[in-house]
Amino acid sequence: MRKRKSSWLQEIAVHGFLFIMAAIMILPFLWMISTSFKTPAEIFVLPPRWIPKEPALENYRELFASINFGRPFMNTVIVASSITFLSLLISSMAGYAFAKFRFKGRDKLFFLILATLMVPGQMTMIPVFLLLRQLGLLNTYAGLILPGVASAFNIFFMRQFIMTIPNELIEAAKMDGARESFIFFRIILPLSKPALTTIAIFTFTGSWNSFLWPLIIAQDERMYTLPVAVSVLAGQYGENLGIQMAGSCVVITPILVFFLFAQRYFIKGIALTGLKG
Amino acid sequence: MKRGSLILFLIFALITFSFAERTLQIWAMGEEAKNLNVMAEKFMKENPGVKVEIQAIPWSAAYDKILTGIAGMQLPDLAQMGTTWMAPFGSMGVFEELSSYMRDSFISKDIFFEGSWQTVELNGGIYGIPWYVDVRVMFYRTDVLKEVGYDHAPQTWEELYDAAKKLAARGENMYGVSLLYTGVFGNEFMPFAWQAGGRIFDEKGNVRVTDPEFVEAIEYYARFFWEELAPMGGGNLFQDFASGAVPIFFSGPWMVNMIDQQTPEIKGKWSVALMPKKKTRTSFVGGSNWVIFNTSRNKDLAWKFIEFMTRPENQLEWYEIVGSLPAVKSVWEYPELANDPIMKVFGEQLKDAKSPPNIPQWEEIANAISRRVEEVIYKKKTPQKAAEALKKDIEKIVK
Amino acid sequence: MKTNWIWILTFVGPALILLMVFLIIPIFASFYLSFTDFNVFAMTDWSRAKLVGLRNFIELFKDELFWKALMNTFYCLVVAMPVTVVLSLTCAVLLNREQTRFKSFFRTSFFLPFITNTVAIAVVWSWILNPSYGLLNWFLSLFGIKGPNWLGDPRWAMPSVIMLVVWKAVGYNAILFLAGLQNMPDFLYEAAELDGATSWQKFWYITLPMLRPTMVFVTTMMIIGYLQLFEEPYMLTQGGPLNSTLSIVLYLYRQGFKFFKLGYASSIAVVLFLMISALTLLRLKLAERE
Repeated sequence: MRKRKSSWLQEIAVHGFLFIMAAIMILPFLWMISTSFKTPAEIFVLPPRWIPKEPALENYRELFASINFGRPFMNTVIVASSITFLSLLISSMAGYAFAKFRFKGRDKLFFLILATLMVPGQMTMIPVFLLLRQLGLLNTYAGLILPGVASAFNIFFMRQFIMTIPNELIEAAKMDGARESFIFFRIILPLSKPALTTIAIFTFTGSWNSFLWPLIIAQDERMYTLPVAVSVLAGQYGENLGIQMAGSCVVITPILVFFLFAQRYFIKGIALTGLKG
Repeated sequence: MKRGSLILFLIFALITFSFAERTLQIWAMGEEAKNLNVMAEKFMKENPGVKVEIQAIPWSAAYDKILTGIAGMQLPDLAQMGTTWMAPFGSMGVFEELSSYMRDSFISKDIFFEGSWQTVELNGGIYGIPWYVDVRVMFYRTDVLKEVGYDHAPQTWEELYDAAKKLAARGENMYGVSLLYTGVFGNEFMPFAWQAGGRIFDEKGNVRVTDPEFVEAIEYYARFFWEELAPMGGGNLFQDFASGAVPIFFSGPWMVNMIDQQTPEIKGKWSVALMPKKKTRTSFVGGSNWVIFNTSRNKDLAWKFIEFMTRPENQLEWYEIVGSLPAVKSVWEYPELANDPIMKVFGEQLKDAKSPPNIPQWEEIANAISRRVEEVIYKKKTPQKAAEALKKDIEKIVK
Repeated sequence: MKTNWIWILTFVGPALILLMVFLIIPIFASFYLSFTDFNVFAMTDWSRAKLVGLRNFIELFKDELFWKALMNTFYCLVVAMPVTVVLSLTCAVLLNREQTRFKSFFRTSFFLPFITNTVAIAVVWSWILNPSYGLLNWFLSLFGIKGPNWLGDPRWAMPSVIMLVVWKAVGYNAILFLAGLQNMPDFLYEAAELDGATSWQKFWYITLPMLRPTMVFVTTMMIIGYLQLFEEPYMLTQGGPLNSTLSIVLYLYRQGFKFFKLGYASSIAVVLFLMISALTLLRLKLAERE
């Protein structure tokens, strides 16, 4: 929001608020990192020490010794990026149709899609598993990817976003004789960059961290993803908290890198070049 | 020449075929799975031509993995099965009945602890073989108890109560024992009911939770909270044990290593003891069993592996690798266990330990017990009223 | 203007097929179970589940724990939704100002709750809420307030759960709002500034109306998500003490996957579904009227 100079007081208040919010958000994350460098003896020491007295690397050492990271890492990259790419494409197509096409039964169909979000995931676990077995997709990448691609959440979000794109833009292109595919790829997608970036981050993060489904689909350890491989090390009674935390640090580091990279696309302006001309 | 090489090839192919590797697939959980490789290698050395494939399943999702596996009949040959999971998964009809295998085997009922064997018997059949056991005992701080005049662990209900009172009287935020009061704590509560002589069902299947013994156990358990002898939702078990604020708790063998690791500063100042006595000193026994799935095509091999894991020397080796308690009684006579003062207590406790009724509804009953006992703890119901409500709950569950 | 059917199929088809296979059909399958007595014995052979008509629903109606779970869940929705909207919208608007510094630092921090491992979250929150050693009660004691026994007191357990719910949702929704804000054309604000509008006026008369599609999305998703409250009570309290944090989905999970009464669990899912879809429809109808 463009504005003339604002007062010092206002800036302090704004930044103060944001810093407090940020601190609350970061806290558990820092605790996770700090715990990953602690020996079991130090984890539950109270008051908690944020910086371990003697930072221990043994959690990471044990982690890297007992897990062969190559294969699970590659599996996770393949699965998460395929899901993200396919889901973005399919959801923005559907989102565009639901936002701008006019056809009979559109709203009912849209609500049907939305309705899939209203049933707890546990209820579909067994039927979907049986279905994938029937389709011969157990223990395959397709089985890991396909159920994650169809996302009502993404479709809904894209629809809401595309609704804000002025109709005049589309009408004008149609007057020039553009086909729907041209409008979608050349007008809608470029204008939706902030939305696409957002759901790309969410989808990628979600599928990267997803744990239960990959485990159920995998019929041997070769198909394990990173979170599954790492969580195997956790004991039945939650002992070895340090290793668990080290494991999650290893799992989420790539996401953080991905996020910092994707942030650049958040920069305002890119998306609006089409509007201003 | 050509023909000669063809024949040679055929012979070669025949040989490889007859020695073709057979693969035994095993599901095991968490760290057990990671360490099971050692035993699997040994087994493969003994049985050339056999390949053991272990799929490690995280504890946190094992339940769902097994459930979907059963629903879709996508199962390994052999799996590790928590004792409280035997009944629900067993009722789904996928475990192999093992009586016929036991006929020509050294494996028999008597080589295991009685409480542990209870967990493999289901509807009159035998659906698993015990692998290792967990049993709850009393953990206590020797030095702190001495302060209040106890140079030994509380032996009876009366002593436990008395000690807890004296310990709590030490000051503010000081307590006697740690007990669970929320969540599902059926397994924590049941030993007290058993010690008092209470039971959930009698031989005819009638619900007996309104018997005076059972009601007495509810009251005894709740009294620790009423009189603030047990903390409610405070602190941290290890921290409070180390500081002495809560010097008594009940738990299983996994705690021995955890205390050593997490609170090394109290080394030598704590010990374990048998459960307190009312009529008996009964404790709760859990652990893991082996089960063979009836979808397996390698049942003979799977049984061979179970026999291998049951052999006393291998039970001992497993104890030395991960520290879980051997299910085979004779192993406890080896010096490694017999000369260890802490293990001796566990061994002794195992002789008086029970498992909950092996029925698929147990989880639901455990929930109901927790709910009703909780209501007593929070003084929403009297022990008698809670027991009556519990009776109705259980009758509805098993109906 | 009507769109050609071929285009409609091309654009909606792929999504619809995938949703059909992986969600809509399985959901219908599970709804079917709500009219059966599907239990542990039917798991390997579905034909053993008998049709029982509306029996599950009648029993559910009489189930006092279900009513308790229903009340708890709505309690969470009614408190958590407005708090989340206000906090996340504030964060997003502040982050979207030109003068705000350290933007990428803030954005990254808001993203963290979302990627941090749930075990870590559970452990750190039970430590924060610990009555004797916890951060929160230590903080309160600075002001001379003796904090309650958060997770152990039936009156405070649900507010504690809600705290975690809001904490997880704020950053996430702020990022969604941010995407909506970034799509707003500058010229509206420029025009408003020429007319001498204050920042508050600009927010109220430009930002909020322009943000309406995102707002509809965010609030709808909250209705859907909060009514399916599960993970937080599952991790922190398992529904206790005295079932004060038992949510509908937690109860469903218990019945279906701990007690294997999938028929009964399905009837809970159906009732939950009907409630959520009624509220969602209401929300979308309101949005249309605005």
